Amino acid sequence: MARIELENITMRYKNMPAGAAAVDHLSLDIKNNEFFVLFGPAGAGKTTTLKVIAGIEFPQEGLVKIGGEIVNLVEPMNRNVSMVFENYALYPHLSVYDNIAFPMRSPLHKKDEEYIKKAVERVAEMMKINGLYARKPSQLSNGQRQRVAIGRCLVREPNVFLMDEPLAHLDAKLRHFMRGELKEMQNAFNTTTIYVTHDFMEAMSLADRIAVMNKGKIEQLGTALQMYYTPVNEFVACLFGEPEITIFPAEASDENGRFVLKALGQKTPLIPEPDAARTLKERGVTSVDLGIRGIDIGFSFSPQDSDRIKGTVYAFEPIGNKVIMTVEVNGAKIRIAAPNNTKADLDQTVYITCNMKNALYFDGGSKVFITRSAIQTYR
Amino acid sequence: MNTNTSIEQAANNKKMQDAFIELGRNFGLTVYGVFAIFPIVWMLLMSFKSDAEVVTTIFKFTPTVSNYLAVLFRPDSDYIKAFIQNFIVSGGAVLLTMIAGVPAAYALARYDFKNKEGWAFQILSFKFAPEILVILPIFLIFQRAGLYDTYFGLIWVYQLITMPLLIWVVRGYFEDISVEVEQAAQLDGYSWYAVFFKVLLPLVKPGLVASGLLAFIFAWNSFTFPLILSGMKVQTITITSLRYMASDAVHYGQVAVAAIVAVLPEIVICLFIQKHLVRGLSFGAVKG
Repeated sequence: MARIELENITMRYKNMPAGAAAVDHLSLDIKNNEFFVLFGPAGAGKTTTLKVIAGIEFPQEGLVKIGGEIVNLVEPMNRNVSMVFENYALYPHLSVYDNIAFPMRSPLHKKDEEYIKKAVERVAEMMKINGLYARKPSQLSNGQRQRVAIGRCLVREPNVFLMDEPLAHLDAKLRHFMRGELKEMQNAFNTTTIYVTHDFMEAMSLADRIAVMNKGKIEQLGTALQMYYTPVNEFVACLFGEPEITIFPAEASDENGRFVLKALGQKTPLIPEPDAARTLKERGVTSVDLGIRGIDIGFSFSPQDSDRIKGTVYAFEPIGNKVIMTVEVNGAKIRIAAPNNTKADLDQTVYITCNMKNALYFDGGSKVFITRSAIQTYR
Repeated sequence: MNTNTSIEQAANNKKMQDAFIELGRNFGLTVYGVFAIFPIVWMLLMSFKSDAEVVTTIFKFTPTVSNYLAVLFRPDSDYIKAFIQNFIVSGGAVLLTMIAGVPAAYALARYDFKNKEGWAFQILSFKFAPEILVILPIFLIFQRAGLYDTYFGLIWVYQLITMPLLIWVVRGYFEDISVEVEQAAQLDGYSWYAVFFKVLLPLVKPGLVASGLLAFIFAWNSFTFPLILSGMKVQTITITSLRYMASDAVHYGQVAVAAIVAVLPEIVICLFIQKHLVRGLSFGAVKG
């Protein structure tokens, strides 16, 4: 129910070395009713960003605006934000019911007991914890505690929901279910949500927009598909997708007037799509990092044609709906998503081929994204 | 068939073993119980003996209530007055300790200020010095400041005994509470004071109660401070009890009565407070 703006936020903790910052000149504009995901590795500054918005941490520089108003000097209680903490932060002396009812009994958001009962029942049902009302947090499993924490957050009607890895400790089935519930709820409630996660599937499935953070800065801001198909650099490319994208160096060369890439010590070059080749040629790059996702690599156990790259099976991991096969070619390890019925022995010879339609080209030195085929369709 | 019997045998052996362990445990507890309770029982018996019989070690004697009459009901006895005054002084000391000590403990647990550990250790070190060592300067200061022989003077000086303990125990309890719990309560719409009273205080209650009780016992039994720093107006029972050890004779019976009466409030408070002495209340707040 509010637009959240961060302007040039810098947040340093006391024990940080000089020059380092948890959040480093960060600016964000989160639209009203947007489901916004902050995504990145541990220590990227995601949680700190949430705490700055909540008012628990005070940034040394920059402005925080909620609904257009500067709230830098507003107490957390008056900001009307609702937060799920990563470590739950339940009230251990109160029962599950009282924990969820706690915000509605505060002087600021006071509601009558009848309303509270209805509201608690509504979220408890959603979180599937309605049989646990009388229990204390110490009598709950971690997954149940986490659901109580989410319940306590959702029971209110705040300006913004701040969720710090709310699904991290649920089992896989429940996590999947809750993901759907959260998305559904967000549509129904019409409330701005800022959601922190380090699970790319959560980020991609939930987000209207994603901000990929690293070392206190935003690497890329955009939709899930933009992240996946046109990552701004190798760091972002590696964060999305399972198995992780394979990136290997390649040398540009000219073969009979054709722009080709030589890589992995192969004689047969890789041939980029014409539009990508044109861009690469225009830029005059010589060393390229080539990124290819697991599903874009074909493989066979017999040399079907001479163009195929020969390698050996290095690792073989069935993960249920697919098999992740790592193939070693001249020391480089290439990750392939193979169909479930694939059978392979370790060190078995395998022949692979790359689908260059979806290949990503990065600068070999700066690791920054250069281009891909049919780039217009993904912008 | 064979295996069945051996299983039965093993089960029987286990039962026997359990029974023995149970027996041993009960025996040990009984011995300890006698060890702990005997002095009190002995004191109780002594309080009903006349001075002539007081040193006999057999349990046969003619009971008398003359000791009780002498200590509690003789018109010139001010034991009851001393009891009440002791209560005021000790209770006041514990109250002041809680009012000042809990915020101090919170500050030491939560805030990051210069030389924090130094301050914490300084507070603890007040308890290191033998009372007799510091009593003379305190005596002189109290005389000058008009605190000699006043309630407030004693309550104040008792802080040396009660405060360090409470601060260090309650600080540990505050440190056990995750900061996020406080932050969550603030986001839920509570001011800092409301958070303190609604969330933090219930969570440190066991520590507060335990250290408060200990502080009360220390203050109640304190001897050196009231001996030097109070005179006729404010008396505590530790000092008044001395009166029954006259220079010519020690009235052990009367001493026993005084001791029994002195121990009573401590026992009563202990029994009342027992149910609050539960550990690990903050468990379950955060990820286990």
